[in-house]
Amino acid sequence: MTPPTTPQGRGRYPGYDVLDQVDHWDEATRRVVLARLDPPPIRFFDEDEARTLAAFCDTVMAQDSEPRIDVLAFVDEKLHEGRLDGFRYHDLPDDRDVWRIVARGLDEAARARDFSTFADALPAERRAICGDFAAGKLEGGAWEELNVSRAWEVVMRAVVQGFYSHPWAWNEMGFGGPAYPRGYAALGAGHKEHWEGDEAS
Amino acid sequence: MTATLTRFLKGAVRPPENDSAFLLDVHRRAVPGRDRMRRYDDSDEVDLVIVGCGAGGGVLAQRLARRGWRIVVIERGPFWDPDEDWVSDEAGSHGLYWTDNRIIGGEDPVELGKNNSGWGVGGSMVHFAGYTPRFHPSDFEVHARDGVGADWPISYWDLKPHFERVERELPVAGEFWPWGDPHGYPHGPHPLGGGAELAAKGAMKCGITMKVGPVAIVNGTFGNRPHCIYRGFCLEGCKVNAKASPLVTHVPDALEHGVEIRADSMASRVETDGSGRCTGVAYIHDGAERLQRAAAVAVAGYSIETPRLLLSSATPDHPHGLGNDEDQVGRYVMVQGAPQVAARFPELARMYKAPPPEISSEDFYETDERRGFVRGFSIQTVAPLPIEWAQHALADGHWGEAMREYGRDYNHWSTLGVLCELLPHADNRVTLADETDRFGLSVARLDYSQSGNDRANIAFAKDKLHEVWEEAGAEETLTIDRYAHLVGGCRMGFSAEDSVVDSDHRVWGVPNLFIADGSVMPTQSAANPALAIMALASRLADRMERIGAGAETRSPVGTSSLS
Ligand SMILES: Cc1cc2nc3c(=O)[nH]c(=O)nc-3n(C[C@H](O)[C@H](O)[C@H](O)COP(=O)(O)OP(=O)(O)OC[C@H]3O[C@@H](n4cnc5c(N)ncnc54)[C@H](O)[C@@H]3O)c2cc1C
Ligand code: SF4
Repeated sequence: MTPPTTPQGRGRYPGYDVLDQVDHWDEATRRVVLARLDPPPIRFFDEDEARTLAAFCDTVMAQDSEPRIDVLAFVDEKLHEGRLDGFRYHDLPDDRDVWRIVARGLDEAARARDFSTFADALPAERRAICGDFAAGKLEGGAWEELNVSRAWEVVMRAVVQGFYSHPWAWNEMGFGGPAYPRGYAALGAGHKEHWEGDEAS
Repeated sequence: MTATLTRFLKGAVRPPENDSAFLLDVHRRAVPGRDRMRRYDDSDEVDLVIVGCGAGGGVLAQRLARRGWRIVVIERGPFWDPDEDWVSDEAGSHGLYWTDNRIIGGEDPVELGKNNSGWGVGGSMVHFAGYTPRFHPSDFEVHARDGVGADWPISYWDLKPHFERVERELPVAGEFWPWGDPHGYPHGPHPLGGGAELAAKGAMKCGITMKVGPVAIVNGTFGNRPHCIYRGFCLEGCKVNAKASPLVTHVPDALEHGVEIRADSMASRVETDGSGRCTGVAYIHDGAERLQRAAAVAVAGYSIETPRLLLSSATPDHPHGLGNDEDQVGRYVMVQGAPQVAARFPELARMYKAPPPEISSEDFYETDERRGFVRGFSIQTVAPLPIEWAQHALADGHWGEAMREYGRDYNHWSTLGVLCELLPHADNRVTLADETDRFGLSVARLDYSQSGNDRANIAFAKDKLHEVWEEAGAEETLTIDRYAHLVGGCRMGFSAEDSVVDSDHRVWGVPNLFIADGSVMPTQSAANPALAIMALASRLADRMERIGAGAETRSPVGTSSLS
């Protein structure tokens, strides 16, 4: 048996692999979840955007080494298929445009720090730019085209969906995952199903 | 039925005049009888067209079909097959939500989509959490008591028999309810998960009473609906058929009594004639516009789509939209302030198990002048799954390595939420934006801003949650500000100057047009709205039967009591 995968090998439930349970999931769920292990190629973003935004997704999810969850692939598929969230702030463009503007803005912010693109910036510089983005403090150029704090919310909403919908993230956090048709029997603080993982002490 | 007797009989009690639970299939989740569903021609003048097959529309269809009305329901979303269409997964449930574009604005914009808007047969209750408290008697007279908001033209006592009836149909499980008008529930309380246990401990130390329930989740068996398996994915649609939604509680019986549900059909306008009456509903199906003729129309599209449809149905006789001569349509939309506070404990709570709705308190529901604001809030457990959990960390300002650490720590956390009654404000409203959707229809814009009273209520309620967690021995907390539920927008009242519909849900000026969803609520209470929406629709069915348009006579609706 291959050891369970956690992003960057930083899980807290050693030996626990939610994927060991796939035989207990219903077929519809199994299809949806397993597809995430093999995402389609990038179709929505162009190559430069994809390079910048992949670096962004890794920075904001602290993915600094392999194995990595391909968060951008999730975002790209969502935008490619137009699976938007059902609302738009009056002072923001369509989510798809928000992502493209953010890609441009991140590169501009990197250039202001003397790097040719965001992806080429040093990790600490990338984190600093993301910190400014989170605080709504980026300005000029692309950032004048949208409300920066809200744009952060829009992109992060998709980023955390991409990361925390992946079974490797569930391994990292000890989440039981899909539970139909089996359900859970061991309720109550301190209880676990026999197949759930133990936290590393 | 007395509380003791109900407890004794538990799940065996069959609700009167609704066989839905018994019509379902034990082995498959899809509603049987779809293949045998009655079909009407667009040119048939049916007795009633209902727009929307959610909490309001589903109940109204079932009730009136039982009384012989010939009914077509137009529903924008799919006719769900839970086995195939729903998954035990957060991100994979994106298809459950109304995700056509809408614009949000105002000082405190309300995010829509998965936060509050469903679609498809069953409506938003398909992915509702499952809390089904009753409103309190005080909720109907907020203006008389507290000088704010508006009084309803009906009282708690008008709805009480319908609360009781719907509670038996869902059926609701919980402990004896000491608040509002005290009452028991048809099913006993569910066992608690680890998260709720910790919350109960803290509340007790603060002197706050918390009770288990009330949730619309089968405890025991109920007809062919199985027991809950505590899988915790209630907000993703219940694949077990244990949790109530109109899809399992009212649609099977409605089909059995001749209702046609036309899924994947978007109502584009309510048609009216020169005499001021409506004649049917135009809708788009498979890219083509069609018109279903009807003697009466009931709109139950939820607080955004209902006003949108009325505004979109403008004619030279109704230049501002139907029922909108006095500029009331779309106003007084309400959401509840619903911040949540999560707390960390040394033990593993694993809050993803058991349904998220477990225990609640209505100790702070009514006005207490010492708090410095009017009306109040309720406290309830919630249980974010991983993606929602990351949103909690994000809302508290964490990303990168810090977010990952909160993720890894997930199993140690438990979460409480509040529902604050925010007051109705005329400027919190739905209007039509300049943009159009995929059908070429103007999209809705929702503007929302809080008042000083609203902010004070939310701040006080958040402090209370922190107090509970402190008493429970929490090591750390995370706070997220959010909203829940949407009601209002076409409120009921006393005249066309102060409302959109009368106490019989009839649109002022269009006597055979009714509104049958949560948008008729003049105030919102601190309770979750679904049970009240269903009870209102159940009462409306009684009223409509009195007013007319029965199947045999097909007399025009409303002639008897028209002004
Ligand atoms: C995550 C979440 C949790 C919730 N938790 C709770 C809870 O615990 N307790 C509670 O009481 N409530 C809860 N709610 C709210 C509850 O589900 C809603 O208040 C209730 O379902 C609203 O009923 P309704 O009849 O007004 O609208 P809906 O049930 O939304 O029904 C409206 C229907 O109309 C259809 N429609 C709209 N416009 C058109 C059109 N033009 N043409 C055709 N069809 C149309 C829609 O597709 C939809 O199916 C929750 C909601 C969400 C999203
Ligand atoms: S926890 Fe129970 S009610 Fe909720 S989805 Fe699972 S089986 Fe259905």
